[in-house]
Amino acid sequence: MKAENKNKVLGFLWSFLDPLLLMLTYILLVHYIFGRGGPQYPVLLFSALLSWRWFANSLSRSITSITSKVGLIQSIRFPLAILPISGIIIGFFDWLFGFIILIPMLFIFEASLTMHMLWLPVLLFIQLILNIGASLIGAVLGTYLSDLGNIIQFAIRVCFYLSPILYSVEDRVPERFATLYMLLNPFAGLLESYKSILIKGEPPSLYVLIVTGVALVGFIVGLWYFNHDEHKLVKAI
Amino acid sequence: MIDIKDLGIKFKMEKRKRAKALDMIIAQARNRHASHSEFWALRHVSFSVEKGDTVGIIGRNGSGKSTLLRVIAGVYPPDEGYVTVQGKVSTLFSLGAGFQPELSGRDNIYLNGVMMGFTKKWVDKSIDIIIEFAELGDYIDMPVRTYSSGMRSRLGFSIAMHVDKDIVLIDEIMGAGDAAFRQKADAEMSRIIGEKTVLMVSHSMANIEKFANKVIWLNQGIIAAMGKPDDVIQKYLDAYNVKKSQTDDEVG
Repeated sequence: MKAENKNKVLGFLWSFLDPLLLMLTYILLVHYIFGRGGPQYPVLLFSALLSWRWFANSLSRSITSITSKVGLIQSIRFPLAILPISGIIIGFFDWLFGFIILIPMLFIFEASLTMHMLWLPVLLFIQLILNIGASLIGAVLGTYLSDLGNIIQFAIRVCFYLSPILYSVEDRVPERFATLYMLLNPFAGLLESYKSILIKGEPPSLYVLIVTGVALVGFIVGLWYFNHDEHKLVKAI
Repeated sequence: MIDIKDLGIKFKMEKRKRAKALDMIIAQARNRHASHSEFWALRHVSFSVEKGDTVGIIGRNGSGKSTLLRVIAGVYPPDEGYVTVQGKVSTLFSLGAGFQPELSGRDNIYLNGVMMGFTKKWVDKSIDIIIEFAELGDYIDMPVRTYSSGMRSRLGFSIAMHVDKDIVLIDEIMGAGDAAFRQKADAEMSRIIGEKTVLMVSHSMANIEKFANKVIWLNQGIIAAMGKPDDVIQKYLDAYNVKKSQTDDEVG
């Protein structure tokens, strides 16, 4: 629980290397092979990728967060919500390590350093609420449905390509669909907002309100379930 | 201390086989409903335990012994009847379960302690005694998955004996380890008996007889007999035609 990385030889180093290698792969692929993306492409990609990874890893960890702790759950009473939430905390540390890499990149790629960066804690907080909601729900469904892990892995991959991570909305999404796209994909607003405040020196996109709404709904549904029906989960494992 | 009235615990049969989303979709498409048969792991169970009692719980595999301890640990809320527990309850110490295999023995002691609501300070103070008693030596900093079953139960037993709780729940971890360890364990049990309230599940009638002042025999979730150890054990053994000496070895 407290040390997921404990077993790995490289331990902490992986928290740096993993997002870095992933980013380099995409840069190679998109920037050099396909010749897309502007001069700021690496930093735009990385800022969105970091936040996406926080969400995706928390969610996929949450699926087995309860079934993998059967022994503990059957030994003592404790609030089960701790289990998926601990995955989010681990994910946040990964985010922090990634952010340490991001800071010099902001300078190298000449991001606009403005006061709008102060929105960062607000965006992180919205995402925290979103991650908690998604992980709580993921943990419940994952306990009842043993093949959900496979389905979620697939869904996460699809959402990855549907979200503005490898590309920007203004570049790649046709203008007449842009509004629809932003409305339908709650992630789009969040990821574009990260790019706006960190790199473009703009305020967050208004579409961030959509993801805030989705986050709140998920958060309330998840907490409500754990408050009312937690004992059903205990018996289901 | 513990008062249980007409307790019932119900499970859905799916417990044994977790549903798959794909199966459910296929079942829906064929317009069939997954069967929701239920069974009672415990039913109409009533008894009370006084402070300082040592209660032995016996019965065949699957008779509801562990479920009963889990109810007292607060893991399962009753579906029927009610359960009142006064005093602080330890975690349920059982063979293999409750430890995180990837963490070291030392980290598991901390985890167990924190889960039971102890402060890190308290664990710091007690950890040396626990480690020494468990005779794990350098293994204490190795992941628990590398432990033998004897080592795991020695660690569990050692924590159980040293936690500062009113009610201690022990599930088949008595009689762990070699003869020398057992002797030490017996002495330790004798020390806490009377001082704490103990509920122990065991297949070793010798152990039950040695420590318990009250025995509950569970059969398919129902109390088959309850009362003085000698009487209940005799009835239990007669029912299955086994000799007492055949029950002594519980950990292989």
